[in-house]
Amino acid sequence: MSATGTLPVARRPGGASTRRLLANGTFNVFVVYVLLFVILMIKQPDTLSAFGVTDLFNNALPLALAAAGGGLVVLTRGFDLSVAGVIALTNVLIATALPDGPWGAVLAVAIAGGAGLVVGAVNGYLVAYVRLQSIASTLATMIVCSGVALLVLDAPGGQVPDAVVYGFSGVLPGNVPVSAVVALVVVLLWLALRRTDWGVAIYAIGADETAAALAGIPVRRAKFFTYCLAGILYGFAGLMLSAVTATGNPNGGTTYLLLMFAAIAIGGTAFSGGRGGVIGSMIGAATLTLLQKVLFSAGVSSFYTGIFQGLVMILAVVIGAITARLAEGRAR
Amino acid sequence: MMRSWKSLRGAMIALGCALGLTAALAAPAHAQKKYKIFLSLSYSGNAWQSEAANIVKALAATPPYDKMVDLREVISGTDVQAQISAYQSMIDAGAQGIISFPVSPTGLNRIIKRGCAKGVLFFMYDATVTEPCAYNVSYITAGFGENTAQALVNELGGKGKIFLSRGVPGNSVDKRHTDGAMSIFKKYPGIKIVAEYYGMWSDQTTQSETAKALAAHPDVDGIWAQAGEDGAIKALLATGQKKLIPVTGENSNGFRLALANPDYQARGLKGVSSGSPPATAGYAFKLMMEKLTGKRDLKVHNIQYPLPWVPASAVKLCTSDKFENGCNTFPEGKVPDSFVTEVFQPTLLPELSLVTAQEGKPTPGATIQPLPAEVVAAPDTPGINCSHCNPPANLYPLTKVQPTVQP
Amino acid sequence: MSGLDTARIATSPDERRTRRPRIGSDAWTVIGLFAVTIVMILASRLISPSFGSWDQARAILVLTSFVMVIAFGQQSVILLGGLDLSVGSMMTLGGILTFSWIGGSGSALIWGIPAVLLVTGLVGAVNGLGVTFFRVPPFIMTLAMGIIIYSVALGITGGTPSGQAVPALGWLFSHRLFGIPWVILLMALFAVLGTIFQQATPFGRRLYAIGTSPEAAAIAGMPVRRIVILTYAISGAAAGLAGILMVGYSGGATLTMGDSYLLPSIAAVVIGGTSIVGGRGLYAGAIAGAFLLTTLSTVISSIGIAQGWRTIIYGLVILVALVLLREELSLWFLRLRSRGGR
Repeated sequence: MSATGTLPVARRPGGASTRRLLANGTFNVFVVYVLLFVILMIKQPDTLSAFGVTDLFNNALPLALAAAGGGLVVLTRGFDLSVAGVIALTNVLIATALPDGPWGAVLAVAIAGGAGLVVGAVNGYLVAYVRLQSIASTLATMIVCSGVALLVLDAPGGQVPDAVVYGFSGVLPGNVPVSAVVALVVVLLWLALRRTDWGVAIYAIGADETAAALAGIPVRRAKFFTYCLAGILYGFAGLMLSAVTATGNPNGGTTYLLLMFAAIAIGGTAFSGGRGGVIGSMIGAATLTLLQKVLFSAGVSSFYTGIFQGLVMILAVVIGAITARLAEGRAR
Repeated sequence: MMRSWKSLRGAMIALGCALGLTAALAAPAHAQKKYKIFLSLSYSGNAWQSEAANIVKALAATPPYDKMVDLREVISGTDVQAQISAYQSMIDAGAQGIISFPVSPTGLNRIIKRGCAKGVLFFMYDATVTEPCAYNVSYITAGFGENTAQALVNELGGKGKIFLSRGVPGNSVDKRHTDGAMSIFKKYPGIKIVAEYYGMWSDQTTQSETAKALAAHPDVDGIWAQAGEDGAIKALLATGQKKLIPVTGENSNGFRLALANPDYQARGLKGVSSGSPPATAGYAFKLMMEKLTGKRDLKVHNIQYPLPWVPASAVKLCTSDKFENGCNTFPEGKVPDSFVTEVFQPTLLPELSLVTAQEGKPTPGATIQPLPAEVVAAPDTPGINCSHCNPPANLYPLTKVQPTVQP
Repeated sequence: MSGLDTARIATSPDERRTRRPRIGSDAWTVIGLFAVTIVMILASRLISPSFGSWDQARAILVLTSFVMVIAFGQQSVILLGGLDLSVGSMMTLGGILTFSWIGGSGSALIWGIPAVLLVTGLVGAVNGLGVTFFRVPPFIMTLAMGIIIYSVALGITGGTPSGQAVPALGWLFSHRLFGIPWVILLMALFAVLGTIFQQATPFGRRLYAIGTSPEAAAIAGMPVRRIVILTYAISGAAAGLAGILMVGYSGGATLTMGDSYLLPSIAAVVIGGTSIVGGRGLYAGAIAGAFLLTTLSTVISSIGIAQGWRTIIYGLVILVALVLLREELSLWFLRLRSRGGR
């Protein structure tokens, strides 16, 4: 029996799952990311240049934020399809409704967070209180949001103010990408939130909703808050997208739908609820975007990138499940 | 338990290292200095895109370019960030020229600007970008919308009920075409648009949507369509009605065959086949190569490709795989109905034949011919090829038809 | 996903496991959906006198056939508590194979159609294998398979599928019996067979049992894995059949032909009253849902408003349908009726 075999049983479910999480999904995807990064560095030494690092963060962050939000919902055994609509909506709003000047950046954050919060609250209300099935009701809200986006901007264009573009996709003194700082802030917020009652609650709800309700957890309130938070994260994903592309596009959110779930899966969050989290989903998103670059540098024909993506998704989930079961066995 | 878990992790790390080594070792050895050109696609999986890409590949394999060009194709899908990432990788990989179908007219501008600063040439075909340092080669400004609209109005004598079959909502090309068409339709109070739907530039979707519209308005007098027009034709035929109506659309082979079909003509099918030519990609590629090799000093950044214009009377079947005698349509069965026929341009692109568009292989015996010296400059169109610019006073001039009916 | 089911807590565990499909509230859902659809068609007369006609109803029925067929497979999989996101790619695969294997040859139909169904069924079975033996969640497995199938099709066809239209399939759409296109009659038969399959065969009953509780089904000795794999195979074959039909309708095959049918298939099934966690729902509900969605999009696209507004209305109506048709409401309605009978 090794020293690590005698894991103390934590009082809060969050504690034990923290250890399991770090031992499994998140760690594994981090290993994969590092591997891919090493391969990329060998083939393309420019990767570590100032541009290179900023590019990597900028490219990955919209999907990472979306996956963070979607991952929260998946933790509660839900599916949030509204990500595509919220991203498109915040993107077109930021591209059309903002004045130039430094206040533009602050207003952009407010708009992105606000629009995301509104949609998230509607989703949360419908799923938690009206008790609709999440996959269907978020599909409907996504459709409504994309219609609103089309009304705001009927063709790609608009103008994202420079304050937003350089404020969010540029670099801080010392060549630190702003997007890296944003990612760090989100991670820190998550680590703090996870220790709250709500953080414990969503893992419990995902693992076994009936038991959680019987144990006195305010299930509906926790779910509602989850969807709200997810909506805000989608809004920020739209903000980052606006910063990177510098324009608005009413159809800009559709690709995020499937990519987000791929990122969540690769990141080790279990779709049966109760395991995984924001960090793994964000690294999963970064891995997916890095995979494109690695496949490019390795000369893999474009036709087959899709096959690679699909296989990586399946492998990630399978390996995650296997290591999860093995780790549980180890703790006994 | 511990051992198997640890060994699984170890296996993953070993696999990763093996992958890394093979990838590193698989780096190709350079024989002689070739121009590094990347073909960057976004959409894929439809006839237009694959024909255009094939044309570029075929030209790159036609002597003397076959010895001068190292062409690589990258497909990034509909995610603008994926194309941004692809451009970054290409620039980092030392590309000298990038010929591309951009997925967004505005979202790629920043990375294009960065590439231009490094000396990379960006040539966009058909779809355009508003970044000034890029070169746009496109028919978009040549007035597909307004010209086909006027042709339809002429056929209808200035009054009637029509359908508007559009493309993809929220897309700037769809908007430009429709705005052009509306500028004509608005002039005629007798023309009523009874149904406006989005065929998504797909034959199947256009067929379904047209069928729905026909069920609600069986007495329609004409259809103005963007790509997917062959679906509109099929929907018309499926109603079982003897009477057919004038239809204007783009250039699928099925549509052109229908226009030339004597039975359909007798039943009332008239119209014009215009629209987006995949051959534009070939023109853009040759322009880029001429600039790269120093044969041309291209001052104009927005270049207009001539608008195809084939009324029903001008449909001519090709008898072989080459585009001879002014032929512009293929016999039934030689290509699928959804094949986009404008893959030829005898003046600008004499090296093309059917095999270049279908398979991406060079025409046997062909060599690259120099392009005519003059290029047609495209007018400034905000949102299409420039952002802080003023459009000309008459943004929708009629170049192919003149009104035969006055409003 | 969906919230706690108060009815499930109220009944005893035994009752939950052996409960038969609740025909009562589900049938009301189906009737309600059809009623709303018919009202919508008739009400559209207010927009224009040429609406609400037999021609329009006939066109809607023909266009509903594709979603209806896919929804059969999707609904069967959802009954098990799973999900099939690969149906779009499977439909495309079925269409491409039909286009190139059968083409213009009439004799090739006899072996061609079973061959296409077999291939798409086998690919669907791979989904089932992944879900059962490798315990990959259905969402991920079918999503990944959909991406993989699309890439394979893209690589093999090089972007443009080659082949020829199939006249016999086109005949289904163009010829009529007493004014009804043959394809509608075929779909009516399909609907009847599908319903019988789910309600009256042992396989169908096992679907409901496994969806309600896989553990209890396993304890009861059912070959759960085999049934799951077969159901995913059925879903693949159903999507392949939709692709075959589409070749008949449009006379061609493209690589994107199935894309716009994935989300409507899920929406039709869920609106039709099938619970996403499995165990209850009727195929008739999915048919009604498909009918409603096609009618809705037909009516909306004929209203002359901006596309953005059309999209918003479409989403709102789906939302309203979901809210009105959720199980609490139909339970309440049933209790109302039984109270009145006392």
